[in-house]
Amino acid sequence: MTDSLFRHGLEDAPQCVLIVNGVEHQVPMQSSVAAALHYLGYLATRAHPVSGEPRAPFCHMGVCFECLVSIDGQPQQRACLTQVMPNMSIDQVGVGTY
Amino acid sequence: MHKIYDYLVIGAGPAGMAASIEASKAGLSVLVLDQAASAGGQIYRNLAQASDQQTKLLGPDYVAGKPLLARFMAANCDYQPLVQVWHIETHEHGFAVAAMLHGKSITFITSHLLLANGAMERPMAIAGWHKPGVMTAGAGQVLLKSSALLPKQVVLAGSGPLLLLLAQQYRAAGVTIMAFLDTTPGVNYWQAMPWLVAGLTTPKQLFKGLWLTLAQRIKGPYISGVSHLEVMGNEQVSGVRYTVAGRVYELECKLLMLHQGLVAETQMAQLLGCTQAWNETQQCWQTQADAAGQTSVSGVQVVGDAGHIGGADLAQLQGRVAGINRAKNASLTGSWLSNRVNLGLLFRLKHLRWARGLVDRLYRPAAWLFKPTGSTIVCRCEQVSAATISAIADGGCAGVNQLKRFTRAGMGACQGRQCGPNLAYLVAHAQQRSVSEVEPLSVRPPLSPISLGQLAKRPRL
Repeated sequence: MTDSLFRHGLEDAPQCVLIVNGVEHQVPMQSSVAAALHYLGYLATRAHPVSGEPRAPFCHMGVCFECLVSIDGQPQQRACLTQVMPNMSIDQVGVGTY
Repeated sequence: MHKIYDYLVIGAGPAGMAASIEASKAGLSVLVLDQAASAGGQIYRNLAQASDQQTKLLGPDYVAGKPLLARFMAANCDYQPLVQVWHIETHEHGFAVAAMLHGKSITFITSHLLLANGAMERPMAIAGWHKPGVMTAGAGQVLLKSSALLPKQVVLAGSGPLLLLLAQQYRAAGVTIMAFLDTTPGVNYWQAMPWLVAGLTTPKQLFKGLWLTLAQRIKGPYISGVSHLEVMGNEQVSGVRYTVAGRVYELECKLLMLHQGLVAETQMAQLLGCTQAWNETQQCWQTQADAAGQTSVSGVQVVGDAGHIGGADLAQLQGRVAGINRAKNASLTGSWLSNRVNLGLLFRLKHLRWARGLVDRLYRPAAWLFKPTGSTIVCRCEQVSAATISAIADGGCAGVNQLKRFTRAGMGACQGRQCGPNLAYLVAHAQQRSVSEVEPLSVRPPLSPISLGQLAKRPRL
C-alpha cells in the first residue's frame, strides 16, 4: 500500500467501512471493490501464480482476471465486478497467488 | 419445469436494450441477462445511478442513453443483472444458457438467442504491459463511470476515439494529463482521406471527432507519430519509453492508460458454432451476420459491437432491427407497417455502418503493435513471452491451438481473450501467412471460471 494514484471525484460521497487484509478503512460506498482498493492506495491485487510478480487490474470490466482477491471468505473473486458493501471483508490483496 | 423464453438477450447495452424493447412490445417473452449491476452496457454504465456531477463530467453522449434506459426499464421483459454466462448449449426447445448468479449456477431455456455482449479493448501487448500501473483507457472510463474515481495524473497512449474522449473527460475533471502519446500512423490520415465523404454524411459526429482530436493538440502535451512503446519499472510502472521519428524518449510516470480500439467479443458465438470471418479493416474476427443480426446458426442473432464494431448509435439501431425481425419471425406482429419501418431502419443502419468507415481507417492500429518480441509477455495469465511463442511458431507449429498445447498460452482464466489475437499475429508473422489464415483459439466451456462444487450443485435439466 502506497500513496494512492487516484482520488475520488465527488464531494460528500457517502462512505462505509471496508476491511482490507484485516484493517478497517472508510471508502466511498458507490464503488467497485477494485476501485475502492485503488482509492486506498492498493494498486496490485494479486501475486502472479507463475512468476510471483505483483499484478494489478488491467481492464476493470471482467475480462483480464488480474483483480482476483478473496471477498467475504470467497477466494478468487473479481474485485472489478463486485460492488462495495458495508463491512465487506477483502483479503489476500496483493498476496493471493490466484 | 423451466420457463421457455421466446427470446433470451445476453447483454443490456444499447443493442440488447433496444432489441428487448421491440421484442417485448410485440408480445414475446423476453429475458435479458447482464453481467453488470445496472443496465446500460459499457457506454451507459451506471447511468441510472450517476450523480449530476458525474454526468456533467461524462458529457452529452453519456446522458444521451437516458431515454433508451427509461424505455428498457419500462419494457415488459424479465431483466437479470449480475449474471455471468458460462455455457450455452443446444436444447430440445432451442438453447440452454447456464449462468452464475450469487455463486450458484442457474439454467435458462429459450427458443431464440440474441448475443449483444459487446466488445473488449484490443489487447496491446507492449513490453511491460503486465506491470501494476498499466491499465486500459476503458478501465479509466469504468472507474470514472461506476466509482467516480479519477487518477491524480496519467499518461495516455495509443489511438482511437475512446482515448480522445477519455482525455477530454479527464481534463474536464481537472486530471493532469502528463502526455498524450498518439500512435496513429501518419499514413492513416492519407488512407482515411477519401472516407471524409462518408464522414460528411454524419456531420455531427464528424465535427465532434475533429474537435476531440484538435483539443488534444491544442491543450497538450500531445505527441504524435509515437511507436515502440515500452513500460519501464520493476515492481510497478516508473515510466514509459517511446520512439518518435527514430529518436527514443523517456517519460517518468506511475500510471499509464493504453488504448488501441475495440475487438468484438466472439466467444459465445464461437461456442455456438456461428461462422466467423476476419475483418481486415477492423483487424479482428467477427461473427458473420445479416443486417438483422441473423448468424449462420438458426435461432441465434448477434448485434452491436459483439458483431461489428460500430459504436452505440449503430448498436441501438441494429438492436431495434433485430428485435423487430425476431418478432416478425414469431408472426406476432408482421403487419405491412412494421415491414416499412424496417426498411427505413435498414437504410439508416447501412448508412451509419458505411460512415463508420472513416473511423475504422483513421484509427487502424499500427503494424508494430502486432509484433511483440523478446521478453514481452503475450499471455498474461500463464506468463508466456513473445520469444517463447515466436520460437514455437518458427518451428512450424500448425496454429494457435497447437501453440496453446505447447506453451499454455491461452489456457488461463481469461480464456485467451487477452492473448488470442496476438498469438495469431505472431504465428502469421513467423510463418509468413496472413493472419486471416490462422484459425482463432477454440472456445470451450466454461466461458468464465466456475468451481467444481458449483458445477456439481448445478440442477439437472
